[in-house]
Amino acid sequence: MSDLVVGTIAQRRFRDIVPPLLDDAYTLAKWICRNGADAEDIVQEAAIRALKALETTTIDRPRPWFLTIVRNAAISWMAKNRPKDLSYAGDAPDLDAIDPRLGEAAPDPEQALIAFEDGERLRRAIAGLPSPLLETLIMRDVNGLSYRDIAEATGAPMGTVMSRLARARASLMKTLKAEP
Amino acid sequence: MNDPEANDRILRLNAALDGELDAASSLELEREMQANPALAAEYRRLEALRASMARLVQRETAPKTLADRIATLGAPTTRAAPSPVRRPVWSGARALALAASVAAVGFAAGAGLTSLRQSATRGPAAGLVSDFARASIAGQPYDVASSDRHTVKPWLAGRTTVSASIVDLASQGFPLAGGRVAIVDRVPAPNLVYRHNEHLVAVTELPPPADGARVNGAVQTIDGYHVAQWSDANLAYVAVSDMDEQTLADFVAAFRQARKPASEAPAK
Repeated sequence: MSDLVVGTIAQRRFRDIVPPLLDDAYTLAKWICRNGADAEDIVQEAAIRALKALETTTIDRPRPWFLTIVRNAAISWMAKNRPKDLSYAGDAPDLDAIDPRLGEAAPDPEQALIAFEDGERLRRAIAGLPSPLLETLIMRDVNGLSYRDIAEATGAPMGTVMSRLARARASLMKTLKAEP
Repeated sequence: MNDPEANDRILRLNAALDGELDAASSLELEREMQANPALAAEYRRLEALRASMARLVQRETAPKTLADRIATLGAPTTRAAPSPVRRPVWSGARALALAASVAAVGFAAGAGLTSLRQSATRGPAAGLVSDFARASIAGQPYDVASSDRHTVKPWLAGRTTVSASIVDLASQGFPLAGGRVAIVDRVPAPNLVYRHNEHLVAVTELPPPADGARVNGAVQTIDGYHVAQWSDANLAYVAVSDMDEQTLADFVAAFRQARKPASEAPAK
């Protein structure tokens, strides 16, 4: 690991920043790795990285900062332990893959709304999204990060973030509509 | 299907939903929706989806175990601060007797006693024995008391340069008691303390010796304490204990077995 022993200033910054963000961090990690026990290890790893970084850095905006570390820890954990489940391959057509007919094809808006009421189905549909769409959606709708923060966290251009978000939502609506 | 304008409209619908559109663009989009019912319907569906997400896919509460692990990481360093100077509390006749014997070892070493045994004990072992003795006398054999390796590991990770791989040996009769930082060659090293009945064993994890020499783990005696030293591909280990020789040998065997690369996963 790192070669530094953290000091009291880093620990004080850490106590101010990390514990209030723990639920957010855990939720994001759990969605990315789809497993609670692994999410705990990932968040702990992220916290250790954060603690070490705080030795030399002050943080203006803790939330996007720490969630970026969590996201990166989760991605590297997945790449190492379950690379098959990390669906980043084939990500190129991001920007032109939205189906504009989606809305027009909806038979009955009411029916779509009913489908959204089933939490279990909704969660299953989210879990079925490819990793880049899933993490973007969770960061936006669950963690409440701005587009700019998500772009920084995922290292993707803003346009890609917007496109991924639109695709994620379109895909959820399609899945929920298609299921009986 | 790849109509850029249609694409753009959907991106803007989402951005409006997320409050990421500026005022002028929002106004423009509102006008478009008035003129285009399909667009307005799509917006309502997105709104409904997002409302469902907010209601049904909420932030989860981090488990207590995780919260404890994180709290431990950021806990203020009290007496655990890696400092080469320890201030043990000396008290009681037993303490004095042990102190005398520790001093005797120091004297013997200082006198340049040369023997095969002396060369075998050279290195960190002698220092760790007196460390162990002093910690026992002070009644604080560890700085973080926990049988949960997920608590001990992050505590140590914040303070030492070697990443401790803590193995669970409770089923073999050696539950984890806590962790400590030992100073070896002026560098803080993780010190794992396991318990066996009323006895303790402290395992210090050190960087491997520069010459790559492997040590086999035989038990030796230094000042009445039993000491075992061994190494694997990644680290060198020194175990100091007040257990009897055979029990320490059993502990070392169990520890080495659990630390074998193939079984490293559960030790995380």
